[in-house]
Formats: sequence, structure tokens, C-alpha cells
Amino acid sequence: LRDFLELSVSAAASGCIYGLIALAYLLMIRPTGIINFAVGEWAMVAAFGGHLLLSRYEFPYLPGLALVLAFMLGVGWASERIAVRPLVEKGSPILAPILALLGVLVVTREVISVSFPPDPMPVPSAFGYGRLEIAGIGGSYQSFFIIAATALVFAGAWAFFEKTLWGKSFEAVALNRRAAALMGINLSRVTALSFAGGAAVAGFAGLLVSPNISAHYLMGVPLAIQGFTALVIGGVGRVEGALLGGLLLAFAEQLTARYAPIPSGFAQGVPLLFLIIFLLVRPTGLLRVRA
Amino acid sequence: MKKLFTGAALALACVVCHAQETIKIGVITDRVGVSKPYSEPATEGLVFGANEINQKGGVLGRRIELLIEDDQSRPDISAALARKLVDQGVVFILSVSLSPATQQQQTVTMEAKTPQMTPMNSADYLTTQLNNPYFWQTGPLGSTQIATLLAHARGKKFKRVALITDNSELGQAIAKAFKGTLEKAGIQIVADEVVARGATSAMPQMQKIRAANPEAMFLAGVLTAENVLIFRAYKELGVKFPIHSSYNLSVPIYETVAKGLTDGITFVDAYDPEKPEVKAFVAAYKKGTGKDPQNLHGYGYDGIYLVADAIRRAGSTDKEKIREAMQKTNYAGVMGKKGMRYTFPEGKRAGFDTDGMVVRVYEKDKQGRVVHVGQK
Repeated sequence: LRDFLELSVSAAASGCIYGLIALAYLLMIRPTGIINFAVGEWAMVAAFGGHLLLSRYEFPYLPGLALVLAFMLGVGWASERIAVRPLVEKGSPILAPILALLGVLVVTREVISVSFPPDPMPVPSAFGYGRLEIAGIGGSYQSFFIIAATALVFAGAWAFFEKTLWGKSFEAVALNRRAAALMGINLSRVTALSFAGGAAVAGFAGLLVSPNISAHYLMGVPLAIQGFTALVIGGVGRVEGALLGGLLLAFAEQLTARYAPIPSGFAQGVPLLFLIIFLLVRPTGLLRVRA
Repeated sequence: MKKLFTGAALALACVVCHAQETIKIGVITDRVGVSKPYSEPATEGLVFGANEINQKGGVLGRRIELLIEDDQSRPDISAALARKLVDQGVVFILSVSLSPATQQQQTVTMEAKTPQMTPMNSADYLTTQLNNPYFWQTGPLGSTQIATLLAHARGKKFKRVALITDNSELGQAIAKAFKGTLEKAGIQIVADEVVARGATSAMPQMQKIRAANPEAMFLAGVLTAENVLIFRAYKELGVKFPIHSSYNLSVPIYETVAKGLTDGITFVDAYDPEKPEVKAFVAAYKKGTGKDPQNLHGYGYDGIYLVADAIRRAGSTDKEKIREAMQKTNYAGVMGKKGMRYTFPEGKRAGFDTDGMVVRVYEKDKQGRVVHVGQK
């Protein structure tokens, strides 16, 4: 049982990371319908930002975090300006910006790859390294921090969509772009904001996970895949779906690796099996859009 | 008129001297792919070595010219690059990306009868799967690594051990070699775990290993980030069994990226900081570039010197003569234990002495002393 509880903490922390990446996807998909696989690279950019500010220049954690997230808002906004808006304004099919964003992915990765040494770089965690036991549940400081921080982000996102006028306008655009535009909602501003927000959330995930997995130039794609799988499981309809999908995915991954009587090489296939099954059986994900 | 004539003669002479000028050597490296952390320092060492040779007057009175290509460690494009280099007239190809990519290049070098060598790849199959007399390997073999590591561990009389690796091609190959040798030695593998590239936690695997209660853990993984995850889980779980690692832990990046996690880990290496050749190389490299070299730089450095040595002994750039000379190599370089010489025993094309590796131990966050030498 002690093992199980310990594993639950680690799986929950991983699940929160996947959930945040899924949320980043969702923020952009909802109003625009664009799947942006560059979210993984955004997480990587933020991880390198964390390495620079927190490790190399030894900023205190919170100001460092805030600076990196502010930078990520800019990165998301710029990506939208450069790779999405010109195409949307020309009336290109939805596939065009998705492909352009794949280009953003490659360019981002290569920029990082040539600007930094090839090795993984350390990123400090919020409270250093150590083990915390709460009522028999043991885990690292960073795991608990990831869980708490993710809970805050999701609470914030939920409140934003449910309680604020801005959030409502996002929803309106998601439901019907034309009608929303007729109601006076500025479509391009919503799109720009959704990309800026997506980049900040993805960047936050990158900052949270990099103390464990280090900042390196190949970290983006696995995160993008895990986040996308989480999104498919949870569904794009609701914010909570992203978190639910992330947690389910991480628990499936880690519990099979730990307990399933199959060689651990095969256990890696389980998340992808999940992805295929959900795409086939329930392509809208677990949580459906509320009518 | 006379002046013009001399000018023309000079120009002609220069055309001749230009044609005579360089010996082209191809290098296939990885600048953006998974092997970049290894390939890049090796290539730097190689370039440094080539410059050093040129400063000392080159080979056979000619300068070495390196033609460097990047195959991203991808077997699907590496053969095409080998073909490109052959077409550009290289007399030798040095391969420093991943083993599978190097293997693919052999299809070209075998057919084009162009000598090729990898100074750092460790997969055992490179010289055994294909009977390519134009290919050599001077990196320490995976089987040599585990045998050396085991020779050191033998004194501890392990009966039950755990094995952990990642899902990279090389990590799998090393794990396979580890497994074969462990089983042959009658040691039971009580847990056999894989951490996938891009994983965010190694907790389930380490829990499984803890539950199996091994006397030691052998680490065959080569992905730095995933290995750091393993060490974090190890530390968090508070387990105490010793870790014996593949030569991957000899990459100095662990001193910074795994701060506080490496103390006491033993790892196999092909580099002895106390060796005179190493000290000379470190001093020269530092003087030439202002940077401290890693052991990985040594692989590339030895590689280009081995090639230069073969061409010198061949006395020409005829590829067949270079092949014959290469096979008769007897050379002491930077890598390997004190006094080790690269040789290719009768019929073999893997040239790293099977007794040439050493076992070192991390002391706090620093790669420390040599605690064991060779397979005995």
C-alpha cells in the first residue's frame, strides 16, 4: 500500500503535467479549431528560460517564474501573428495554420538546439529536493508543488471560462464564430489571447516538469504527444476534461509499468493503446460539451 | 614576356600544388539528433586533431581536409551522405553518429571500397554482421564494457541484480549485452526495467526494482535526462543498493545536471585522467581552444590520428593501401587504460583492447579515481 500511495503521488504529478499541456491545446482549439503541436516546444522554451534565469543567473524562484511566463505570453502572441493570422485572414483551410505551426515547432527546436549546448541542463525546483510525507503519502517536494500549482491553474481557467465576460466570449467564439463576430466579439483578439494563454500554460508545464526531466532540446515532442493523448481522453469540450485525461493517462502509464505482469518495454505502449481506443470508440473524449 | 612566362609557370605549379594539397577525409556526425551530446564533442576533438596534424606539416606533406556531414543519427539518410562523401573523393570516412546510422553507411563503403571507421560507436554488431574489410571500430564494445564492469563487481559476489535501461536503440543494445554477460556469469536478473524516452517519472520502475530486492543495479541507459530521472527516484525511495553504470555516466554533464545524485556510482570508462597521453591531450586542447576537453573529445581525436597514422604508413592515398595499413594498426592514443594500444588482431576489425577499459567512481559530484582496470 505504501508503494501504491507513493506511486499515486508521482503519477498525479505526471498527470498534472499532461493535463496542463492538454489545457494549452484546449485553449487554442476551443476558439479556433487549430491543433497546435508546438505546445511541447513551448514547454521546452520555458524550461530553458527557467534554466537561464533560475540556474545560471540565480533569480529568486517567483520573479524568475513570472518573467518566463511573461516571455511565453509574448512567444504565443508572436506565433499567432506570424504563423496563424496571415493564413486565417487569407481564408486558407484550417490545415494550413496547423502545418505552419508544425513549422514553428521545428524552428523553435532548432533555435534552442543551436543556442545551447547539446546536454540536458539543470533547472532548480521551487523548494529544492526532498521528500515529504503527508499522512503516510510520500512524495518529493516538487511532486506536491506540481499538484498544488496545477490545481490553481485549473481553478483559474475554470473561473475564467465560467465567471468572466472574457471567458464567455471565448466560449461564444468556440460555439459559433460567425455569430460571435456579429455580436461584436473581436475574433482576432480572442485568437491572439488564446495563443498567448496556451503558450503560458504550456510554458508553466515545462517549468514544473523540468526540475525532474531537465531542460533539453528533445523534450518537446514527448510532452506534446502525452498532452495530446490526455486531451483526446478527456475531450476538448471542457476544461476539466484536460486534467481528467492527464491524470487517467499518467495513472494508466505508471500503474501498468509497476503492476502489469508484462515486460516493462511493452508497458510503454499502453498510453498509445489508450489513444487509439479513445479515437475509435469515443472521439469526443470522456467529458462532453454541455448543451 | 619572360615575366609572363614565369607567372604562368608559377600559376601552373600552383595548380599542381593545389591538386596535391589536401587529403580529403569525410566525417559523418550528428548535429541535431539524439546522439548530438556525444557526436558533437567527438567531432570537436576530431577537428582539433586534424588542425594539430596540419600544423605539424600534415600527412605525406599534404594537409588534411575534413568534409563534415550531419546525418542526424538517422540510418535512412546516412548512407546517402556516405555516397556523397565518396563522390567528393574522400579517402576515408569517420563515423561519429549512432551505431545504426554507421551500420547503414557500410553498405556504401563496402561497395565503394572506401575505408571507414567509427572511433566511438560501441555496438558489437558493427564488425560482425557485415563482412566489410573496409570498416573498423575503435570504440570500446558494449560487451567489453559490461565485462569490465562485471570484473569489478565480481569481487562483490552478486547473485541477484536488477537491470534498468531506456528505449533508445543504443540503450537497448547495451542492455542486451549486459544481460547476456550477466546470465553467462550465473547472476540472476531479478528485475529488468525500461524507462521510455520522454518519461516524466521513473518511480514505477524503481519501485519494482526495490520490491525485487537486488544486491546491485546495473544501468544500461544512455539518455541523460532519463538517467537523471532514475537517480531521482533512487534517491527519493531511499534505496541503498549500489549502482553500476554503462560508460554513459562518464559524460561530464552528470556533474552538473545530476548534482547531489551521483555520489558512489561506479561507471565504466575508457579514460584515465592520470594517463600521460591524456594529460598531454588535455593541456594541448586547453591551449588550443581555451576549453577543457571531455573524454568524448578523445574518441574523435584518436580517430583522426589513427587515420593519419594509417595513411602515413600506407605511404599513399590509395584506398586499398590505406586499408592494408589500417588493418596493421598499432597505436597508443588518448583513450584506454595506461599503455593500451589500438590493434586489430588477425581477422578482427574491432580495435579497442578488451582489457583496455577502466572502472571509475563518482566522488560527490565529481568523476573520481580509477578503481579497477580491465576484465580480470
